Order: sequence, then structure tokens, then C-alpha cells
Amino acid sequence: MNATEWKEKLSAIRDSFSVSSAKSPAENPEALELRYLGRKGELALLLRDLKEIPLEERKPLGALGNTAKQEMEAKLAELKGSAPAQAAAVPGLDLTLPGNPFPTGSLHPLTVTMNRLAEGFLKLGFTMADGPLVEDDYHNFEALNFPPFHPARDMQDTFYVDAKDAAGKLMLLRTHTSPVQIRALEKAEPPLRVFHTGRVFRSEAVDASHSFAFHQIEGLYVDRHVSMADLKWTADTFMKDLFGSGVKTRFNPSYFPFVEPGAEVDMSCIFCKTGSGRCPVCKGTGWLELMGAGMVHPNVLKGCNCDPQKWSGFAFGGGIERFAMLLYGISDMRMLYENDLRVLKQVQS
Amino acid sequence: MKILYSWLSDFLENPPPAQDLAAKLSRVGLKVEEVAKTGASFTGVCVGRIEKIDKHPNADKLALVDVNDGASVMRVVCGAKNIAVGQHIPFAKVGAMLAEGELKKAKIRGVDSEGMICSAAELGLAGYDNSGILVLPPESPLGADAMTLFPRADWALEVEMLPNQGYCLSHYALARELCLFYGLKLKEAAVDASEARGESVPVEIAAPDLCPRYGAIVLKGVKGAKTPEWMAARLRAMGSNPKGNLLIDGSNYVMYELGQPTHCFDVAKLAGPKIIVRRALPGETLKTLDNQDLKLDPGMLVIADAERPVALAGVMGGAGTAVSDGTDAILIESARFNPPTVRQSAKATGIKSESSYRFERGTDPELPIKAARRLAGLILQAAPGARVEQITDNCPVKYQSPVIDVDPARVNAILGTGIVDGEIYACLKAFQPALKDAKPWKFSVPSYRQDIEMLNDVAEEVARYVGYDVIPSVSRMPMLPTTATPQWTASAELKTGLAALGFSEAYNYDFVSAKELKACGLDPAAALEVKNPLSSDFQYMRPTLLAGLLKTLRYNLNRGRESVLLFECGTAYARKDAGKAEEVICAGLMYGEFPEGGSWTGGGSKAGFYHLKGVMARLFAGRGGFRFEKPKKAPAYFQPGLCLEMRLGAGCAGYAGKLSRAAATASDLKDDEVYYFEIPLTCLAQAGKVEFWQKIAKVKPVSAFPQNWRDLSIVLEERHEWGELERAFSGVQDLASARLVDVYKGKNIPAGQRSLTIRFTFSSMTGTLNDAEVGLRMTSVLDKLAKNFGAKLRA
Repeated sequence: MNATEWKEKLSAIRDSFSVSSAKSPAENPEALELRYLGRKGELALLLRDLKEIPLEERKPLGALGNTAKQEMEAKLAELKGSAPAQAAAVPGLDLTLPGNPFPTGSLHPLTVTMNRLAEGFLKLGFTMADGPLVEDDYHNFEALNFPPFHPARDMQDTFYVDAKDAAGKLMLLRTHTSPVQIRALEKAEPPLRVFHTGRVFRSEAVDASHSFAFHQIEGLYVDRHVSMADLKWTADTFMKDLFGSGVKTRFNPSYFPFVEPGAEVDMSCIFCKTGSGRCPVCKGTGWLELMGAGMVHPNVLKGCNCDPQKWSGFAFGGGIERFAMLLYGISDMRMLYENDLRVLKQVQS
Repeated sequence: MKILYSWLSDFLENPPPAQDLAAKLSRVGLKVEEVAKTGASFTGVCVGRIEKIDKHPNADKLALVDVNDGASVMRVVCGAKNIAVGQHIPFAKVGAMLAEGELKKAKIRGVDSEGMICSAAELGLAGYDNSGILVLPPESPLGADAMTLFPRADWALEVEMLPNQGYCLSHYALARELCLFYGLKLKEAAVDASEARGESVPVEIAAPDLCPRYGAIVLKGVKGAKTPEWMAARLRAMGSNPKGNLLIDGSNYVMYELGQPTHCFDVAKLAGPKIIVRRALPGETLKTLDNQDLKLDPGMLVIADAERPVALAGVMGGAGTAVSDGTDAILIESARFNPPTVRQSAKATGIKSESSYRFERGTDPELPIKAARRLAGLILQAAPGARVEQITDNCPVKYQSPVIDVDPARVNAILGTGIVDGEIYACLKAFQPALKDAKPWKFSVPSYRQDIEMLNDVAEEVARYVGYDVIPSVSRMPMLPTTATPQWTASAELKTGLAALGFSEAYNYDFVSAKELKACGLDPAAALEVKNPLSSDFQYMRPTLLAGLLKTLRYNLNRGRESVLLFECGTAYARKDAGKAEEVICAGLMYGEFPEGGSWTGGGSKAGFYHLKGVMARLFAGRGGFRFEKPKKAPAYFQPGLCLEMRLGAGCAGYAGKLSRAAATASDLKDDEVYYFEIPLTCLAQAGKVEFWQKIAKVKPVSAFPQNWRDLSIVLEERHEWGELERAFSGVQDLASARLVDVYKGKNIPAGQRSLTIRFTFSSMTGTLNDAEVGLRMTSVLDKLAKNFGAKLRA
């Protein structure tokens, strides 16, 4: 075969391919592929014939052959892409019918939020601590530097139950998760880094942002040389973990009897970003108050037999409902306790 | 607490604008929640009178009004409906500054308007009827500047006060804070400096621990001292209701101004001459200013005259010695009381006053005489005939201000900062101008800051002074190993498992009513009772999660749902005398179709006992030692005979079964097809304490040879349960599994008997079993069944 013959043959194959590939209804692209480009396909065989042609003439022919091959491949790809669904070929089978149902349950938004927090804090070296919900006055107030007849006790309206502690005082439903700080310090010597999530109670009327039962997270770290910078890093890290790497945190002066200095932890508003305008979530301030924090008050350490000259620590706490509401875009806290399956089933964990 | 900008400005040289002050206060932890403008700040508006009203030629809703401003008559276009001839109205001339800006000359629908008749909103006045123009009182003088009719513009700042901020409960105190932290200059309050004419008032302090200081000033000739309008206006703006009597209003005014509560006694009504500060005697009573009859007890501190208590110290004065319009001589009390004592008195009597609020939070030991003199001065100004007769300052316990050694390195160690010494020193100096620069600095705490007790408190002041943003976000925390609590792990595993099985997690409140308990067949007397419940719906702490789940079931059925699969993990409570006080339980229920909604392909059927049992088996799959047993005593809310106990090793892992008919009926359900389970976490958590590697069951080898199976249909008496049969199969050689394929009763089976079809699968580790070998093993199975249960091969 000489070069001219080869070219003619190539052109014949191209013509034949373009006729076949343009048929309507289209021929099966796989069959076409096999006929022209397959190992024993027409073009493949022709390309193999090149070796019979003298070397100096071979090169341009090879290029021509390759171009033809690429064109065919492109056309075949196009045909394959636009091929009608094979299913249509099976009569009476509707693949869009729903599949057999497998059970789909859901975790509660508060569980998902607490799981996420737990995961994060376990990674940061906080071990999990626990404490009872029915508490005594000592752990809920006194050991946390709320002396009897101190106005700070007004900050938390307390439910009492029909049971008495060892001192003969009425037992109460814990008003915050902070008693877990005391229980942790009673149980183990520093260094100590613990966290806890759980339910708390306040005697308040229920509305869109209040509930008489809700959840908090508590954190405590006691060691030598703990500083507020460690606290800020911890708060910043966990806010970013929950609300995205773009959020900022800031401290503002605040007061909780069991910390000094005390701080309120604000997070940059995740809804309006800029802080301008009339954002209903941050009320235009650009910041959301999310937690209370501070350095463990020396009186608290002393009460737990830890020498404040030797040990220092930080503590923080925050409401989990608020986190969950921000994450899930829920604006009324009551929704979290209504247990409407139309809502619950939407929750992704 | 409300703070008026104008009042605050009394104590500041060059006060910054209101919004700026609000931001400054917030920045140092005095959170300003709201800045509300009050009063007026317009110019160029005078009192005018409407002389004539004509129709606008080009507009139905507008009128042409002739307004007389006392000098001339001008024509304006007005759209208000409430105009009438003869009304006195605020008339803004061109060039006036109104709430929305400057008033320009305007042509409205082709007619020139030479000014504007204003509404309250246009004048920037809040709290007036705003439906039309503002009609002024008819006695308002024509042509007068309308500003003179309204209070001047002011801003009311609502500041959130934390319990430790007793040092901030007045205008003066907030001005002092601003000066400390922002270098503003403080102006002192004008205080009367009169000398006493007579001897000091005899004051006997019988309980100096509860009353370390008692100051008193006696004034005579105060009769008819009226509250000046400027003072009344400020009190009104504070939300207090001025009485018009300066002796009462002035006392409130001084409290808002300086933070020291004072009280005026009518000297003529005191059984003199001595004032006694003592604990109340048992059985003593006091009728208060607001006519409450209080029973006093020795836990309370009272002010008494020679005969009886005349005031509950720090809380409220008595009616018997109260000032009235006829009062001529008063004794101003200005004292310091022990905060917990005042709080105790206030709590016991249920009286919350502005006075007790301040005393509870601690007042400045150096303030009593200054405040009394301030009040005296205000009275002297208003009642020219008044004079200071006696002044007493009885101070049995002198206040010693604590001195704190401040090492700047320790302040930085607490804050995690690198604040330079000079800045820390500057902060301390702002508090204590006389501080010497010799380290450690001897910081003497000002008398008004009794909350500052130790270095941590000083560190907070430094952070406030420099700004909390100075604290960096840097961790020097070492690694520490962590674990989750076994209970958390157990509950997380159950939650994930149940969610995967189609159950949705609910969160219910811990409080239940007596009715709900009774519906579950439980005795309220055995439940933990809340002493101060919000209502009887929330009177008990739940002893089981059932009530909440039933409520949730009903809630969802009422909203058109047909299948409900729910669970909850939460605390159940018991009276302490009942043993364990609280325990976390995972409970749930099934109602309707399972899987929910069924399918067009079939599948899905009404949830029943075996569904629930299957769910439990799946939930506990892989836990060693798990089994179902018939309960010795199941909880009351299960249907008898339709409940199984779940056992894990030697412990009870809960119950599962059908809800009792009584509970279903009492819970207003249509039927009793509710399948309920509860799993107390204690047993699971105990099992979870085993170390991870020990928990893992070793994998058993499987045979390399093909397995064989045979189906066997037998007939036996119904009383023989599957569980018994299953146990009998143990020990059959090479038996890999015996799976129940069918249960049949009815045609061809004698009454009282049933047919079971069982698939036996055999597998040997040593080779392929041939027919004869399998047959041999099946014979042994059938022999066992025949011998133990009288089973026969089904024909």
C-alpha cells in the first residue's frame, strides 16, 4: 500500500463513519466504537498498515490518522452522552418510583449540638465530668462564692424540692452547670481540665428565649500558671469549631461570683457579618453574647482545698439552646421542647 | 438602672455626647441596653393661634390656615384633621430646626406655606398623642418660644447592673467610673456646709456589727418645702412618682444622685430624744410607709425611738413617724447597714425597695454625712425658713480600706498579657492619686469599692482600664488524656442506634402533674415534689419518661401523623428515701406502621410486640450477656404478660412491652397499640467501664467447607415456648443455627397445638457433611424435641 492509497482508504473510512454516526435513530455508539476504533476496527487496522509505508512519508499520514481517530472519539463520546436512558428499553419499569423505605430517625438538635461540643472538648484535652441535677445549696451556691443573703443569688431563680441535704437545707434543682466545677475539684487534684453538658433549671416563665429547663456547657481548667489568654484561646477555638473558622470572639467585663476577673464572651454575629443595619439577631451590634467566663475565684479554689497561691484556673459556661438555635435557625426556644416530628425529622446530625 | 444624661453631665466637665458615653460605659462592663431620648430640642417654634381655616383650592385633604403668632398673621398649608379655629398650636416658622431637620419655605399644591403647624413627632417629642397636630393648653402665651413648654432634651440610659456593681448605683458613681477609665474630670456635688446650732442628736447603736455608721441631721422650719419642678422632672424621668413634698422627693433624689439611701423622720412624731439602732425584739411590729403591718424578728435591724421601732433599717420607714405637709422639723437619717442583714429583712418581709436594693449591694462607708448634707442643702434652698439644728455622725466601726500588694508581673500572669508596668501603675493611680511608685505597689482600695478584696480583683480593674481586648488568644495548656463518662458513651450509642432504627429523639421537661402520674398508674406521693412549682402542671419531678413521651405522641397524632417512633434520654427522679435519687433513662415508644408509612411494594405493617422486640435485639446486638427474660415484676404501665425484661449479665437493662390499656385510655389515646421500652443507663454504663480492648469479643473462625441445611416441621403443644426449644438445641453437633421459619395453627393441627417450621444449618470445621451425616444430626434434633416436648413430625 502506498501513501495515496492509504489516504483514500482513510477518507473512505471517515465517510462511512460519519454516515453511520449520523443515522437516526442513532446506532449504538459502543458498536460503532468496536467497528472503527476497536482492536480490529477499520481505523485501527489502517493505522497498523502504516508500517508498510516508507518512513519519510509515514509521519504526516500518522498525523492525519490520529486526527481522524480523535474526531471519531469525540463524536462517539457525544453520542454516548446523549444516548437515551437504557431503562426505557425495559417496558413497564418506572425507576422513579420510591425505593423500599428504610427507617429514618433523627437526633434532637440539642443532642447534635452537645455531641459536637463533646467531640471538640475531648480533643482539646477536657475530660468529661458529671454531677447531679438535684443539688444541695453548698454545691450550687455557697462553694461557688454565692454567700447566703448575697444579691448574686437573685441572678438565678431557684426551684426547691421536697428533700433535705445533710445540713437540713432544702435540696434544689441546679440553676447552672457550675456545681460540676466543685464536684470535679472535690474528686481529683489539679491539674484538672474538665467539661460537662447537662440540664439546668430556673423558675422563669417560658417564652421565645427562656425556658424553666434548659442546657448548659461548663468548662474548668485548674493548673499552675493558667491565664485568661488560655481561656480566650479555648473560647475562640470552640466557637470556630461550632460556628466556622470565620468567627471572631471578644471579651467584655462581666460578673459571676465564682470567677475573677470575669468576662462575657461575645462572638461576631454570624448572620449580618458587618454589624451594621437592623440585624434582628445581634440587634445591629455585630456581636452575640454567648458565654460567661473568667479566672476561677480564689475563694472557690480555697473552698475546694486548692491553694490559690499555687493553683489558678479558668472556667466558662454557656447555654446550649442558644448555640442550637443559632445553628439550626430556630428563633423560638419552645420549638426545642414541642417535639413536633415535622421539625425533628429535618434535623441532620 | 435608669441614668439621665443631663444628670450624669452635672458631674462631668465637658461631658461627651450621650451615645458616646453609652459606648464608653458598655466597654467597661456597664452594659447600656437602651438609650432613649426624652424632652425637646427644637428651635424656631412659637405658640400660635388658629384664626381662620379655608379650603385648599387644589386639594380636598389640605386646608389653608391663618396662624397668629402674636405679632402677625401668616398663612400655612395644613393636612391635619384635628385643627380648629381658636386652638393654640406650636407654629414653626421657616428656618426652624425640627426633628427631621430645618424647615424650608414650601409651595404645597400651588399655594405658598409660610410655616408649619407641628405634630408631637415633628417636634421630636415622645409620649404625646401623635394622630394630628399637637394642641397646646389655651393659656400658652401667644408668640412664646414653644420650647419653654416642654422639658429640655435628655437621654435616658438603661444600664444593666450586675450584683457586684453596688458602687455604680447612682449618677455620681457612674460619672466617677467614666472619669477613672477615660480620664474625664469629675465635678463634685454641691453639699451644704452648715454648722450645727445645737448639740448632736443622741444616737445609740446597739448592734455596731449591723450598723457601723449612723449619720443624722436635724432640720427645723422645713414646713411647706415644695419639690422644685426641675427635680420633679428628673424623678419622673427616672420612673419615680414625685409626691411634691421635698422631704420625700429630695430623699429619693439624693439616692439616685449619690447612691446613699436616706430617710426623713418627723421629729414631732418621734418619742425622743434618742435614736436607737438595734435588733428587733421578738413580737415587735411596724406599720410601714405603705401601710403594711410587719411582724419583726431579731434577725432584723430596726431604728427605734424610746418606745418602738420606727423603721426597718435600710428597707422602709414606719408610717407613724412619716413626714407630712405639716411637718416642721425633720431628722435626716443617712447610715450604713450590713448588707446581708438588709437583704434578710427585705426577703423576710417581701419588701423590695430602692433603698434595700442599694444597701444589699453595699454602700460607701464615707458617704452618709455627705448625702445627708446634700439633702439638707436641697431643702434649705427650697425652704428659706429652714435651718440646720443638729448634726450627728456616730461611727462605732471605722472603715479600714484594705491595702493590696500589687506586683505587675502577677497581674500579667493572671491576664496572660504583657501590659507594661507604667500602664498598670496609671490604672491604680486613677483610683488612688496618692499611690507611691515603689513595688510592690501598696494599693489602698477606695472606700466605695468594697468588692475589691484581692489581686484578682485588681487584675480585672487593670483589664477594664486597658481594655479587655488586650488579652491575647494564646494557649500554653499541656496535653492531657481525656475520656467520656461511661454513661455518656452508653447514651450516645443508644441514641445513634435508635435514630438509625427510625426513632426520632424528643426532649421533654422534667416536670409532670399528678394527673399525668396517675395516668401512668403511678402514685404521686412516691414522686419527688417541687416546693415552688410554676403551676400544678409542673408539680412533680418525673419518675419515668413515659408521661412526656405519651404527651409527645398525642401532640403528633393530633397534627395528622399516623406513625410515631420516639425516644428520649433523660433523668428520672425518685424521692431520696426511695433509694436512688436520680437516674438517666433511655425510653421510647412505637405507634402506627413500621417502617413508618409502609411502602408501595408491600412491607411495613402495624407496629407490634415483635417489632419492638426486634428493635431491642438490634439495639443490644453485640453486647455480651444480653438476653430477654420474663420479668418478675414489670412496671405498672406495661400490659401484664406483654412485657419482657432485658438483662445484661447480672443486671437489669430495662423493660419492653405493650403499654397498659389503663395508661393508654387515661392518656386519651384511641387504642392501646403503643409499644414502650425503657432502658436505665446504669447497667449499660457499668458494662461500659470495661476497657475497650476487653470489650471486644474475639472473632471465631468459620468453616472452609460448604454448609448444609434441612427444614423441619413439627407439631407440639402450644405451652412449649420457642425459648425452651432453642435452649434444647445446644449441644447438637455441628449445628450452626436453628432459625424459626414459620409458626402455624389451624386447619390440620389439633386444638391446643401448633406447628413450627425450623431451618437447621450445619457446618463442620473438618469437612463437608454428607447426607447421611446431616441425617444423623437431624435425628438427634428430632429425638430431643420428641423427648422433651412431645413434638411430632408434621404430616
